[in-house]
Amino acid sequence: MMDLTQPQWVRHVILHPFEGFEDLRWKKGGTLKYTVIIIAALFFSLIAWDRWCGFQFRPLPDALFSVVPYIMRSVVYFLAWVIGNWAVCTLLDGEGTMKNICIYSSYALIPYIVSTFINVVLSHILVQAEAVFFAAVYYTGLIWSAVLLFSAIKAVHQYTFTKTAAAILLTLFAMLVILFLAVLFLSLFQKVFVFFYTLYTEILYRVRV
Amino acid sequence: MKLNIQTLRRRTAAFLLTFAAAASVLTLPVSAEEPYDVYNYDSLEKAVPSQAGYLAERAVSGKDLGTVPLNSPQDLFRDRDGSFLLADSGNNRILMIDSDFTKVTHICDRFTMPDGSETALKNPRGVYRSPDTGLLYIADSDNERALICTPEGEVVREIKKPDSPAYDAQLTFLPQKILCDSAGNVYIVLSNTTKGAAMFSAEGEFIGYYGANAVAPTAEVIANRFWNLIASEREKRYRTRNTPTAFDNFDIDAEKGFIYTSTSSGSNETDTVKKVNPEGYNLFDYMSDYRWGDLFSTWYSGTSYKTKIIDVDIGDDGSINCLDQTTGRVFQYDKEADLLFILGSSGDQLGTFSPGSVTALETAGAGCEHIYVLDAGKGTVTVFGQTVFGETVHRATTLYNGGYYEEALEPWLEVLKRDGNYRRAYIGIASAYFNMGRYRDSMTYAKKADSSRRYNRAFERYRAEWLRAHLDGLLLGAALLLAALIGFRIFRRRHRKKGGAAA
Repeated sequence: MMDLTQPQWVRHVILHPFEGFEDLRWKKGGTLKYTVIIIAALFFSLIAWDRWCGFQFRPLPDALFSVVPYIMRSVVYFLAWVIGNWAVCTLLDGEGTMKNICIYSSYALIPYIVSTFINVVLSHILVQAEAVFFAAVYYTGLIWSAVLLFSAIKAVHQYTFTKTAAAILLTLFAMLVILFLAVLFLSLFQKVFVFFYTLYTEILYRVRV
Repeated sequence: MKLNIQTLRRRTAAFLLTFAAAASVLTLPVSAEEPYDVYNYDSLEKAVPSQAGYLAERAVSGKDLGTVPLNSPQDLFRDRDGSFLLADSGNNRILMIDSDFTKVTHICDRFTMPDGSETALKNPRGVYRSPDTGLLYIADSDNERALICTPEGEVVREIKKPDSPAYDAQLTFLPQKILCDSAGNVYIVLSNTTKGAAMFSAEGEFIGYYGANAVAPTAEVIANRFWNLIASEREKRYRTRNTPTAFDNFDIDAEKGFIYTSTSSGSNETDTVKKVNPEGYNLFDYMSDYRWGDLFSTWYSGTSYKTKIIDVDIGDDGSINCLDQTTGRVFQYDKEADLLFILGSSGDQLGTFSPGSVTALETAGAGCEHIYVLDAGKGTVTVFGQTVFGETVHRATTLYNGGYYEEALEPWLEVLKRDGNYRRAYIGIASAYFNMGRYRDSMTYAKKADSSRRYNRAFERYRAEWLRAHLDGLLLGAALLLAALIGFRIFRRRHRKKGGAAA
């Protein structure tokens, strides 16, 4: 019973939003390899939407493209989510390990990624007046992913409905804190780097003179 | 081997030398290089190099015109017959100049009042001539009056400070610029009020103010309004009041009756150039996106240089020409307020002006062939002439704005040959191809113009055409796909049954 291969697990989890993750947990399915692939797909879907979109919908001029915001919106946000959730739920008697949070959360993102790619294809067929179809596809993917993510957190930590909701709100707050600290650290390290670099050039200058 | 290399080297050097010599000969006489970098703005509001639409031809001083040097001249006006009026303010006189701008035909400095007495001007800062009656209108600033007179110097009417209750009695009357509309109403820009131009009837009676600027709704203004709501009467007297910046120059489109005002104040953002209809409303308010002058102010050694539009002139083809006092640049827009050309700069060479001293500009010709810029510091008028590129752009723009998109195609293509950075050409070509039904080409050019709206419009038609052409193929394909799917299912079911029976 339920002896599924890894690709079959992905399908099962996505198509069974309410018990899929429980099954996954029960049978110890899922692999980190897929997490990496999914986050890469998320990264490329965001870029595809801005770069391969039909010109009638293209929001971003070519000259303003930079890869950093896409890394931010995929990898960094996901890592902040996982770390934040792990930190919050460890304190709230959650049963999920860091690895499992990674796996379950990433599986939940698949509908959103797929909807983005569908929109990229649609943008070459539709005109601006028909943009409502985008919204339909986009919100279907988004809500589906949100339900899956909720169910994933609920399953991975074995929480009740209300506790999951509270944990997610706290996780969002934790993400804010993490990102804030990250920005702070970055600017601090930049200052430290500049300080040592100035020392280095100063010494170099004195040695030469 | 060694010898071979040496000869090769020598030959290459010789070849390069001849080539360089040929190139220098070729480039020398072809173009008169402007002493400044010509630029324009692209769709991302970035300054990009561009071709010159106008070249400075000559600078005309008072001596060239056959009279004494001009002394801080403040206004220039072109009459309907092509001759010019120049307010030579420091010399207290008005010069009439022939249409070629080569000599003074008449000097107005003595005037006879209706009662027979003689009078003279004192620092006249504005001059206008009515196209209907041929009368001169002079803003005689330091005499605190405006004169309406014949070119021979017979004063028809003198407008002094009105004693109407609508005019603040404490306010002095300092006319700066003057003009009249086709009904004979006189409009005078005063230097010391923000209520707009003072408007007088043809009989010289004060009617009221016209076309005041609006207060830009900044956060400070909104906060002030809020505090004023809850302040007592006594507190209100000591609170700061928000007054709009005053416009300090204007021009009238005599045929259509619109008055264009320009405001040079640096704190002004919204009403830099206005197109005011006879009811006093700014018609540019209803347009979505337009900006005047340089898009960004530059910061150089502690001083911020920001565009200061000191004069506006409407060309015969409807183009809006703005003079920036800070940089000495002329910004030329078409009648839809889209930027055409930027010319002039500050400096000492021909085509450049002493910093902060340009005072007025005029245009001449049905296609705006000449632009005249008055430099009060140097006491000269610089004459700019249109280049072939400028002429082509003007022709294309006039056709395009008139709705003749297909006729504008040829000049726009010509524009692109000369300047591939000129964005409006891509828009014009996209529109032309769209009207001609060449949707695929229209899409290509709309994409280059970075205009997703125009791309969308062409794509919609292109898609409809494509669908119509390939409808049978699409239907056939869909039917085949469906059949294949059903066939596959049936096949699989049978296969499974067989497999089940075997097991």
